[in-house]
Amino acid sequence: MSASTLPVPPRTASGNRTLGRSRFREWTEKEAVFSWLMIGPPILFLCAMVGYPFLYGCYLSLMHRPVATTGEFIGLGNYIANWNDPVFWRVARNTIVYTLVTTFLKAVGGLGLALVMNQSFPMKNFVRAALLLPFIVPTVLSTIAWMWILDPTFSVLNWLLIAAGVPAPGPSWLGNPVLAMCSLIVINTWRGLPFYAITLLAGLQTISPELHEAATTDGATTWHRFRYITLPLLQPVLFIVTMFSIIFTFSDFQLVYVLTHGGPANATHLFATYAFDIAMSAGQFGLGASVALSMLPPLALIIVALAIYMRKR
Amino acid sequence: MPHSPPSRRDFLKAAAAGSLGAAFSLTDAQAATKSLTLMHENSFIKTYDEYMNKTLIPAYEKETGVKVKYDLVSVGGLQTRVTTAAETRSGPDMTGMAFNWPFLYDEKLIDVTDIADEAGKANGGWHVGGTEAVIVNGKFKGVPFGNIGQLMNWRTDWFGEVGFKTFPDTWDGLLEAGTKLKKAGHPFGFELGHGFGDNHGWLYPLLWSYGAREVESDGKTIVIDSNETAAAVDFCRKFFQDTMLEDVLGWTDPNNNKAWLGQQISCTNNAQSILWLAKREFPDIGKVTDHALNPMGPTGKRYHILNPWSHGIFTHTSDPDAARAFLRWLMQPKQVGAWYASADMYYAPFLKGFDDSPAWNVEPRYLPFRDSMTTSHLPGWPAPLSRAQSESVAKYVVVDMFAKACAGASTKDVISAANAQLKQIYQQA
Repeated sequence: MSASTLPVPPRTASGNRTLGRSRFREWTEKEAVFSWLMIGPPILFLCAMVGYPFLYGCYLSLMHRPVATTGEFIGLGNYIANWNDPVFWRVARNTIVYTLVTTFLKAVGGLGLALVMNQSFPMKNFVRAALLLPFIVPTVLSTIAWMWILDPTFSVLNWLLIAAGVPAPGPSWLGNPVLAMCSLIVINTWRGLPFYAITLLAGLQTISPELHEAATTDGATTWHRFRYITLPLLQPVLFIVTMFSIIFTFSDFQLVYVLTHGGPANATHLFATYAFDIAMSAGQFGLGASVALSMLPPLALIIVALAIYMRKR
Repeated sequence: MPHSPPSRRDFLKAAAAGSLGAAFSLTDAQAATKSLTLMHENSFIKTYDEYMNKTLIPAYEKETGVKVKYDLVSVGGLQTRVTTAAETRSGPDMTGMAFNWPFLYDEKLIDVTDIADEAGKANGGWHVGGTEAVIVNGKFKGVPFGNIGQLMNWRTDWFGEVGFKTFPDTWDGLLEAGTKLKKAGHPFGFELGHGFGDNHGWLYPLLWSYGAREVESDGKTIVIDSNETAAAVDFCRKFFQDTMLEDVLGWTDPNNNKAWLGQQISCTNNAQSILWLAKREFPDIGKVTDHALNPMGPTGKRYHILNPWSHGIFTHTSDPDAARAFLRWLMQPKQVGAWYASADMYYAPFLKGFDDSPAWNVEPRYLPFRDSMTTSHLPGWPAPLSRAQSESVAKYVVVDMFAKACAGASTKDVISAANAQLKQIYQQA
C-alpha cells in the first residue's frame, strides 16, 4: 500500500483549532517570545507611567509655558534662570543636607534596630510588626501629629522642657531656621527607620548562623563577627535600601509641605516643594519642571558613585 | 401566508435596532435632566457651603430641573484642581476663583461680561476691588462675588489692661501697645512663614503704608530697593522683636487661629473666621475679640490685601448656556443676598447694593471688612495683573524679605536679595 493511499483523518474545525492552539503554545514557549511576553507589560507600563511623564517634563523644562497657554520654546532659558536664582541654590543645599543626614541616621539607626530585632526575645513578632507603624501610617496624618508636637503653644516637648527648667515658651522648633531643618530631619528619620530596619533584618536572616559559630570557635569577638561577617554579607541589601532611601528622601514633599511649606524664609524648601510652588501657585510649568528635573543629575551622581563603590568592594 | 422563523441575521438586525433606539432614548432622557458641577474651596464658614448644598441648589433644581453638584476641595487645594481642569479640559463646568486666577486661566474661561453687567446693574454696581482681579483684556473672566478681607484681630480686654481702649491708628501705636502686651505675657502673633494668606495679609499693606512698592504701575520697573522699603523692614524687625514670639517665623495659616483660641496671642492679622468660630465654640473668647482696619504708615495711608472671590465657567463645559444660566440666577438680588448672608458677610460683597444690607447688622464687628474694600489691593499693586505677580507671591519674595530681617539679616541684604529676585521674575514674564 503506497503512502498516497493511506487514509487521511478528516480535517474538522475542532481539529484545526487544536492544531492552531498547540502551534501557538509552541510559539509562546520559545524563550525569545516568552521573555518578551513577560517583560512587555511592565515595559509598556513603565513607558506610560514613568517614561512619558519624564520626557514630557524634559520637554516642558525647555519651554516658557505658563499654565493654560500653549507656551513657547526657550531652550535652556529656565535652567539659566535657576542658575541665577539664589533661592534655587538654597533649595539645592537644603535638599542635599536633608538627604545625606537623614540617610546616614536611617542607615545607622536601622542597622542597630535590625541587629536588636534579630535576637530572640519575648513577643518578638509583635515588636517587629509594631516597628513598622511609622512607615504604615499615612505621612500626612503622622505629620499633623508632629505639627502638634512641635507647636510651642501645645507642644508636649516644650511642656516637658519647661517643667525641667527651660525658660518658657521653650524652643521654637519650626520658627528657628536651624531647628526647623533639624526637626524635619528627625521626623523623616523616624518615618524611614522601619523601612531600613525591616529590610536589613531580612538581610540578616539570610546569613547562616554556622558562619558566626565557626568564627566564634576561632576566637572572633562580637565586633569582629559584625565587621568581617555581618557587614560584608549585608552590603548588597544595604546598598539597595540606601539607594531607595536616597531617591525617596531627595524627592520628599509631603512632610515639608504640611509642616513648614519651605519656611521660615526658605530654610526648609526642598526641590519638590519649590518646584510645586512655581508650577502650581505661580503657574509657571516650564520653570517648575526645570527645578524638578534639576534633581536628576545629583541623584544620578550619588547612585552611580554608590554603584561603583559597591562593584569595587 | 407562510411565516418563516427569523434567521440569525434577522435577530442581529433587530437587536442592533433596539440598542440604537435605547441609546437615543437615553440621550433624550439625559438631555432632559441637565447636570452641572460647581467646584469650590471648603469654606471656613460651614453655613456657607451648607446653604449652597441645602438651599440654593435644590431651589434651582426645583425651578429649572437642572441638577448642580457642589464639588468641595480642601482649603489650599483649589488652585491645583483648577489647573488640572484647565490643562486637561475636563472636570467641573464652573469654579470658584481667588486672587488673579481669572487672569492666569484666561484662555480656559469663557467671557461672562454680560452676566457681570447684569448683576452689577441689578445690585447697585461693582466695587472697584471686585473688578480689579477679573477683567482681562476688557472682558470679565469671572463674575465677582466677595472679598475675604484680612484685618487686625485684637483682644479688647488685654489691650484695655495696658491702656488701649481703642485699636491704635498707626503702626507705631500698635508697636507701643504690643511692647506693653508682650511684657504683660500677651504677645502678638503675626504670620511670617510660608502660609498662603495670613502672611501676605499684613506684610504687603505694611510695605505699601510706608510708601514702598515692589514694582511701578508700568509693571516693569522694580522699585523695591528704596528708603521707604528700608524703613518698613526696620519697623518690621523691631515690631517682631518687641511684640512677638520667634515661632511666628515658621507659622503657616492655621497657627494664628490655634494660638488665638488657645489664648496665647493678643493681636493677629486674619479673616473674620476666628471670631466666627470663637462665637460658636469659644464664646468667652468671642466676647473679647474685635476687628480693626490695618494701621496707617508714615504716609498717613492704610492698606489691606485684596482676596477677591469670583466664579467662572470653563471653556470645556459641555453646556455653556446652562452654566451661564445658573451663574446668572445665583447673582440675582434674591439669591445673592441670601448667599452673602449665609456666611455672615465673610465674603464682603463686591456689589455696592449690599453696602447697607441688614445682614451687616447681625454682627457689627464685621463692618471693618466692608470698610476695608476701598483700600484693598492685590499683591503686586499698583502694577497691572500679571504672571510675574503670581510668581513673586509663590516665591514669597516680600514675605521672606521681612522674615529674613526679623531672623537677624541686615536690611540692606534682604532688600538686595528681593530686588534681584523681582528683577529676574519681572524680566522673564
